[in-house]
Amino acid sequence: MAWVAARYAIRSVGRNARRTALSVAGIGIGCALALFMESLNRGRDELFARMGALSGAGHLRVVPADWRERRDPRLRLADWQGDLAAARTLPGVTAITARARAQVLLAMGNHVVPVEMVGVDPENEPRTYRFVRKVQRGRYLRPAEKGAVVVGQAVAERLRAELDDEILATAVGKGGRIESAMFRMVGIVSTGSEEIDASICQTSLEDLGRLSGLDGAGEVTVILDNWRAAAATQALLAPRLAAGDQVLTWSELSPEFAGHMEQDKAASRFISGVVLLIVLLGVASAQLAAVLERRREFAVLAALGMSAGRMVWVLLQEALALGLAGGLLGLALGLPLVWRVARHGLDFSRYMGSSFAFQGVIMEPIIYGDFGIWMVPYVLLVAFGATVIASLYPAFFAARTDPAVALRVAQ
Amino acid sequence: MVGTSTLRIAWRNLWRNGRRTALAVSAIGLSVTLVLAYDGILRAYGDWILATLTGPMLGHVQAHAPVWRQDRAVDRTLGHASRTVETLRRDPEVASASARVYAPALAALAEEGFAVLVVGVDEAAEARPLRLLAGVSKPLGDRRVLMGRPLAELMGVREGDQIALVGQGADGSLANDLFTVAALLETPVDLVNRQGVIMDLAEAQTLFALSDEAHEVVIHARDPARVKALAARLAALPELAGAEVLDWQALAPEMLSMVELLRVAGIFVLVLVFLAAAAGVANTMLMSTFERTHELGMLLALGVKPARIARIILAESIALGLSGALLGAALGIGLVALTHQTGIDYAALTGGGPSAISFGGLRWSLVLHPTLAAADVVRAVAAVVVTAILAALWPALRAARLQPARALRE
Amino acid sequence: MQAMLLSLVLAGPAATPPDVQALLRRLDDLYRSKSSIARIEILATNPRATRSLRLKAWTRGEEQVLVVIEAPPREVGTATLRVGENLWNYLPRIARTIRVPPSMMLGSWMGTDFTNDDLVKESSLRKDFTTRVDRRSESPPGWWLALEVKPEVVGRWARIEILVSDGDLPVEERHFDRKGRLARTMRFDEVKLLGGRRVPSHIVLTPADTEGQKTEMRYLEVQFDVPISDDTFSLSRLEQNR
Repeated sequence: MAWVAARYAIRSVGRNARRTALSVAGIGIGCALALFMESLNRGRDELFARMGALSGAGHLRVVPADWRERRDPRLRLADWQGDLAAARTLPGVTAITARARAQVLLAMGNHVVPVEMVGVDPENEPRTYRFVRKVQRGRYLRPAEKGAVVVGQAVAERLRAELDDEILATAVGKGGRIESAMFRMVGIVSTGSEEIDASICQTSLEDLGRLSGLDGAGEVTVILDNWRAAAATQALLAPRLAAGDQVLTWSELSPEFAGHMEQDKAASRFISGVVLLIVLLGVASAQLAAVLERRREFAVLAALGMSAGRMVWVLLQEALALGLAGGLLGLALGLPLVWRVARHGLDFSRYMGSSFAFQGVIMEPIIYGDFGIWMVPYVLLVAFGATVIASLYPAFFAARTDPAVALRVAQ
Repeated sequence: MVGTSTLRIAWRNLWRNGRRTALAVSAIGLSVTLVLAYDGILRAYGDWILATLTGPMLGHVQAHAPVWRQDRAVDRTLGHASRTVETLRRDPEVASASARVYAPALAALAEEGFAVLVVGVDEAAEARPLRLLAGVSKPLGDRRVLMGRPLAELMGVREGDQIALVGQGADGSLANDLFTVAALLETPVDLVNRQGVIMDLAEAQTLFALSDEAHEVVIHARDPARVKALAARLAALPELAGAEVLDWQALAPEMLSMVELLRVAGIFVLVLVFLAAAAGVANTMLMSTFERTHELGMLLALGVKPARIARIILAESIALGLSGALLGAALGIGLVALTHQTGIDYAALTGGGPSAISFGGLRWSLVLHPTLAAADVVRAVAAVVVTAILAALWPALRAARLQPARALRE
Repeated sequence: MQAMLLSLVLAGPAATPPDVQALLRRLDDLYRSKSSIARIEILATNPRATRSLRLKAWTRGEEQVLVVIEAPPREVGTATLRVGENLWNYLPRIARTIRVPPSMMLGSWMGTDFTNDDLVKESSLRKDFTTRVDRRSESPPGWWLALEVKPEVVGRWARIEILVSDGDLPVEERHFDRKGRLARTMRFDEVKLLGGRRVPSHIVLTPADTEGQKTEMRYLEVQFDVPISDDTFSLSRLEQNR
């Protein structure tokens, strides 16, 4: 009898091709939509992580021992070159750079501006700090260049200085000696945010070392291919560092950002839930409508002696078959779309107000969907979930049909 | 096209198979309810994000002395601050206004001095929910100050300790005095936590030799959507003549970027949600109609014209869609109205965790108050009806071309 | 003939261009000494208010400075001590000594237009600039020197113009920034005998592009190269109000 049930299931599916096709299409579209949604949601997480990381925090940062407590720009790593080398051995790394900081007073004539000057590696810095990717006037620092500085527009304005001007930088060096050095302004950066502009002042790592009297780097920043790997990569890197130096993830570095992400994750989960519910509802109701029409059919089967349990089993098998077909269709429909959005991203800049005119310097309004192995189980789960839930009521209902009553009613 | 008798027949047809219709109506209704619920939450979320970002430090509109933002000099002030704040508070579009004083200073517990930023605030105004001092219960004044927790940890300061504050007054004099740290703070603003010492406004003014002056006037608008217009209007007030009056979008374009992106992304998702709902509705409709082939064949055999049948199907579809949509809308509106009052505990909904999250250290209440605009409801209902019509086209056409004998056999 | 003799007599000392190198050495060392004790009055004027201070300053070498405020009464006893990399402030009103973090050591000195740059005085006119005599000035009588900064020199000024009186004392200094713009002007007058030297006792610093702002410094008394005991530059002395 089991074999009969299976054959019946298969044949009933085939018998009403249109109904089946409709069901499968419905499930397929629903699943594809749900998949796209989830991919975008995960992409939003990536957006936040990217924003935070590329605004200077990096995905991982190697800092000196006391840094978390003291946050003193004068702290330096125990062995920055060793740490840099260790970071280079890590898998999945997009960019690595080293930096040093010092509190400096810039002066042009009578005008003085206190600023935190950052010594960088000109080759790698733009890949980890988005704000210096576009230098509005002049150019960025060149490798092995001496005595050059790039500042934010607000700094240049406060100094009343222009491109190629010579600026005096004064810092308190080792032993309290006041050290000064001349710098030439080779580039001016404009991000659109005055606050950010006022904080940008970059020179080479060597120049900063000479000025501050403190050699070497105070931090090594790492940008990863996959931000989710931050914690794992941190665990890999930590033992390879020089004694005393520690590595932090971006969420440990800027808790505000981590907070933002957490709250957005909650939002994402809610949205996914809503979409899922809607898909489930749609599929389930369609299935129910279909099944309810088959009362006569079930009545006949019951009259022929099929047990309630068997009928439920038949329905379940149909549901699973439909679910599988619908899920596969959903994957077929959804995968190309998700892949494309994962590769090229969804660029929202067209839809954002005209006031968003900073050409993506502060933030690129592009969401890259997530593409991964998670998609297959996700879609199948949705598909099966929907069809099985949908078949529960009619299964229960069909099992209780009184054949005589059902056959009598002209439906 | 669809006459009243057609509608009546359609309606009766629907309820002839009560169970099927009820199911379809509920399914459609629930979909609409969910869409509206999402819409309500989306609005609440948008409002919440805005409030979170602009609440504590930024406000909606800020006024400063013209060059103050560039060099933060203590002597670049807005004059007659109390009168300005009074006038602003009386403005119908202003929800709240208060003044602030900012002065760099040296703070020391023992001998070691630390660079800090003294922020003089009007405690009554800043202790409101989502503001800088939200949730703070210790009163300022009487030489009591609040200190950011990270700063306190750095300095080794505990609650009740006495610190010295030294700075430069607006007249160049040396400002110095002793203060008691009444409480340690975790505000949403990282700068304040790391460097901030918060003091009563009047005391700050006295300490830094400012008479009725302030460095910043923060204004919160009743309608956050109209801040630009409000800023322009307030700039014209005589009390703010010569001051720089800017809305938060001009002050913090990076915040604007984020808010904008989230808004657009939210709408994008709304469209997807609509699509999902529409797909479900269409599927349901198609399924219902196709399953009635036998019944329709009967009608045809009885002599009903095919065109009429098509119209009946269309009418049924619209009626079904509309009933479902209206039911769902009613439910959705009711749900939103209910939760609007009490608020939804977001985190609990989405899988546990505290009812607040850590954001720069402060416990943020994650309670959202969904709202709906009439447009949202109209949009949802219209979308369902349109979908119903479109979904009915194929079966209607097919029904009209049915051959009764074949249909009866199914 | 008589007219010519008269004119010679009336013309005063011979108007011959000075020895630039010697002059510069003198200007560099005008106020410099291995140690000094001075009483100074400072008047800082800005559009908002005028602030007046009287203080007593002990210096030894370039690394040790003690400054105690004597007036106005509100700030009497406030003191600053610098020893090497450490800078402390003593505040009598709250009876506290506070160490100033290195980052705050830069910037304006005591809220005036002078910066640490000016006071540490590591720069040398003679060594850092190429100098030539520019022109003669009749009133006041003296010579204008034009100083161009040598390449590779670290400093804010690209050019300085100094008017030196016939008595080899500075009368006016004009500082031009690295773009050649006039940044500030210093005027020297009230020449007195201070600590055995004839020096201008009154210096006025006026920034070029701000209205109503200037800083005046007046030496009331100075002792140059006077022995100062070690414990002058100590925290305990700081607090004791010598």
